[in-house]
Amino acid sequence: MEKPKIASDWMCGCAGCHMSLLDMDERILQVAALADLRATPITDLKHPDASGVDVGVLEGGINNSASEEVALRMRARAKILVALGDCAVFGGVPAMRNFCGVEAALQRAYVEAESNEPGSQIPNDPELATMTKTRAIHEVVPVDYNVPGCPPDADVIFYVLAELAQGRKPELKDELLHWH
Amino acid sequence: MVQITINGKQIEAPEGTTVLAAAKMAGIEIPTLCAHKELTPYGGCRLCIVEVQGFRVPIASCTLPVSPNMVINTETEALKKSRKFILSMLFSERNHFCPFCQVSGGDCELQNAAYHEEMTHWPMQPGWNGYPVDSSHPYFILDNNRCILCRRCVRACGEMAGNFTLAVAERGAASIIVADTNVPLGESTCIKCGSCVQVCPTGALIDRTSAYQGHDDAMTEIKSVCAGCSVGCGIKLIVRDNRIVRIEGDWEAATNHGSLCEHGRYHPMTESRTRLTAPLMKKNGQLLPVSWDEALGAVADKLKPLASDPQNGIAAIASTRLPVEVLATFRDLFAGSLKAQMATSTEEGMTTAATAALAEKTGTFEGRLDVLKTADTVLCIGANVARSHMVAGFLIKRALPKGMKLINIDPAESQLDELADIALKNAPGSDLALIEGLKAIILKENLGRTPLAIPNSEKVIAEAVQSSGIPLEKLTRAARLLAHAISPVILYGKGITAKRDEFLIQSLQALAILVGAVDKERLGFLSVKGEANSLAAAQLGLDAQFALHDQQAVFAALGDDTVSKSLASRLAQAPYLIVQASYESALTANADVILPVSTWAEQEGHFISLDGRIQKAEKALSAPDGIRDNAEVLGEIAMRMNMPVKTDWQKAIRERQSSVVLS
Repeated sequence: MEKPKIASDWMCGCAGCHMSLLDMDERILQVAALADLRATPITDLKHPDASGVDVGVLEGGINNSASEEVALRMRARAKILVALGDCAVFGGVPAMRNFCGVEAALQRAYVEAESNEPGSQIPNDPELATMTKTRAIHEVVPVDYNVPGCPPDADVIFYVLAELAQGRKPELKDELLHWH
Repeated sequence: MVQITINGKQIEAPEGTTVLAAAKMAGIEIPTLCAHKELTPYGGCRLCIVEVQGFRVPIASCTLPVSPNMVINTETEALKKSRKFILSMLFSERNHFCPFCQVSGGDCELQNAAYHEEMTHWPMQPGWNGYPVDSSHPYFILDNNRCILCRRCVRACGEMAGNFTLAVAERGAASIIVADTNVPLGESTCIKCGSCVQVCPTGALIDRTSAYQGHDDAMTEIKSVCAGCSVGCGIKLIVRDNRIVRIEGDWEAATNHGSLCEHGRYHPMTESRTRLTAPLMKKNGQLLPVSWDEALGAVADKLKPLASDPQNGIAAIASTRLPVEVLATFRDLFAGSLKAQMATSTEEGMTTAATAALAEKTGTFEGRLDVLKTADTVLCIGANVARSHMVAGFLIKRALPKGMKLINIDPAESQLDELADIALKNAPGSDLALIEGLKAIILKENLGRTPLAIPNSEKVIAEAVQSSGIPLEKLTRAARLLAHAISPVILYGKGITAKRDEFLIQSLQALAILVGAVDKERLGFLSVKGEANSLAAAQLGLDAQFALHDQQAVFAALGDDTVSKSLASRLAQAPYLIVQASYESALTANADVILPVSTWAEQEGHFISLDGRIQKAEKALSAPDGIRDNAEVLGEIAMRMNMPVKTDWQKAIRERQSSVVLS
C-alpha cells in the first residue's frame, strides 16, 4: 500500500508550531517511515500536490487574501485538514488586532510605533495581499481536527500525525489536550 | 432525609440539600463554575445542569433542592452536548484567548472545564468587543475581558467581607463588574481583603505580586496561622524558591473559612524594611558587624551580673507577634532566672491586663468568636473591629443585611459607626457611667433577664446622660434594642481594656448577663484583644506597663514587629539596649547590641487566638544565612550565663486562670 501523503503550510502564525514539530527529534523518522512528507515550509516542495494529499496541516490563522488562498488550496487538496496550534484553532495572538481593527493596527505598527522613522507610511504596494480580520481556520474552511497549543507539544503533534498516518482518528484529551 | 436517584444510584440526602451537594455527597462530580462552597448558590453559569425526570428541560443543580423520589441524570450525551454549548457561549462572549493569561495552564477553572468536556476549539468565535480594565487597585487588577460574570467576586465581597463594594453594572452582554457606583477600584470603598481575587475562577481578577510567577503546581502550599492579629485566621502560604508568592485564606480553617483581610493577605507581601543580616555591636559610637559568639558573649556578660540587682537590674520586653514558645522562654529567662523587675510585652497588657485580672477572680467568663454567627444583636464597645480585627468585623458586617442589629459605643473614630443601627459617641472616660446607665434603663423598664439591684436608678441614668453627653432618648433606644435581643453578643476592645480597670469589665459583664448575652448555654461576651499572641503574653504575665526605673540594661525581643513611637522613645532611654529583631528600625539604630532573628514565616510556633484556640504556625521559609531563630537566641544567652531555661509552654500558659477556655 502506498504511504499516506502529508503536506503542511503556514499562514498567520510565528512558525513556532513547525518548530515544535521538529522538536519531536528522531521521531520524525518514524513519521517519515509511516508517511510521505510532501510540501512543507521545511521541505523543498512549496505547494501540496495538485493530485491531492491525505493529510494537510495548517499553522496560523487567516489574516489576509494570501493566507485565505493557502487555506482554500490546502482544503481543496487534502482529504483530512488539521489546524495546528492556537492561531489556527482560535486565531491566537494575531487575532488580538480584531479588537481594534486592521486600520488601527497598521497605523500603530507602521506610523505610530516608536521604532518607525519619521514620516513612515503604511505600505500600499498593489502587489501586497489585502488584510482582513484574523480568523480561525474553521471560520473559513471546514477543519477535521483542531490541535490547540501555543505551540502544541511535540508529543501531541507526533501522536496526531502517527495516528492519522496509520488511518486512525486521533483523540485529544487529558494529557494531550492543552490550549497553550 | 429525602430519597433520590442520581445516575441510577439510590441516595439519601437531608431535606433542603441542593442536587449539586447531594451528588457530591454520593461521590458524583458535576462540573461547576459559579458555584463555590463558601458562597450562596447563584445559578449563573448553567454548567451544572442536570436532567430530572419529569422536567421539560435540563436545570441548574446548584440551586435545585432535592425533593422526594427525584430521578436525576448528570452524564447523558445530551447533557454533555449542552455543557459544551454553554462553554462555547462563555468563550464567545469576551477575550478568553489563553496564551497570555496568567491562570492558563492549570489554574483556570474555565479552561479546566473546557478540557473536561474535551473541547479542542471554540465552535463560536468571540465578538471582539473590548471591556474595561481597572488597574487602579494597589493589590490586584480587574480585567472585565476575562470575566464570565459568575459573580463569585460580588458574592465574596458581600457574603465573606460584608463590604458590598463589588457589583454588576449594565445588562446582558454589556454587564461588567464595578466598584460602588462605577468608580475606580483604587478609589472605592474596597477594604482590600482580596477575597474576590481568591474566588475568581478565571484571570479576571489577578493579584499583582503573584501574577505570572508560575502555576500552582510549581508552588508549595503551607497551611499556617496569620500573625496579623488575635483573630488567628488560617492561612495558606504559597511558596516558591524560598519566597512567599501569595497568601490565601484557608477554606478549611474553622475561624475564618477562607476569609482574610489586608493585614493577613497583602501586608506581608509589601514588606519594605531593611533586613538585619548579621549581629551588630556599638563600638566607638558605631554599629559594626560582629560574630554571633562575640555578640552573645557581650549580652551574657552584661546581663548576668545584673541578676543580683533585682531593683535596678534588667528590663525586658517581648513582641506579642512572637510564638508562645519564644514568649515562655523569654518569661522564664528574664522574669525567672534573671529576676528582672520589668518583663512585659510590647502591648503592655493594654488589651488583656484588666480582663486577665478579672478572670483570676471570677474564672473563665469570655466566649468564642463563633457566637457572632448566631447573634441577632451585637454591642461593640471600644472595639473598632472593622479596622483592628477585620475578619471578626466581617462576621458582623456580613450579618447586618440579614437583620442583625449593631450598637456601637466608641468615643473614638470608628468604621462601625456608619454601619451601626445606633452609634453612641460618648464623651471619653464616660464608659462606666454609660454602661451603668444602660443597665438602669433596662431595669427601670423591667426588660432584664436576671434580677439586678441598682439603687437610685434615676440618679444613675441622669449621671449617664450627663457624663456621656448622649440624650436620654438615644440611650433608651440602645438599651431597649439590646434588651429585646434574643441572642445578643457584647464585644469589647482596647477602648475598654486600655483603662486597666477590671471593675469596668465587671460592670459590662453584668450588662451581658442582664440582657441574656451570657447565660447557662451561651457566652456572648468577649474581648478582641490585640496582636497575634496578646492572650499568650497575658497568660505568661507579660502585661505590665513598660517603664524604666533606673534599670541598667534593656532587652527587647521584637522579632519582626514594629514598636509604637511612645514605646520606642521609652526604650531609647535605656543606658544599655539589646535588641533582638529581624529588621532595622529607629530602635535598632539606638541599640548597643543587635541580634538578627527569623521572621514569622521562618519559624514554627504556636499562637493563641483571642478566644483561646491554640494554633500552630508552620515554618514556610528558610531564614537567610547568619540569622538565628528567636527561641534559639534566648536559649543560647541562657546557656552562656549558666542559667539554662527548660520551659514547658503548654504548662506555663495554664499557670494563670484565663478569661477564655484554652484549647
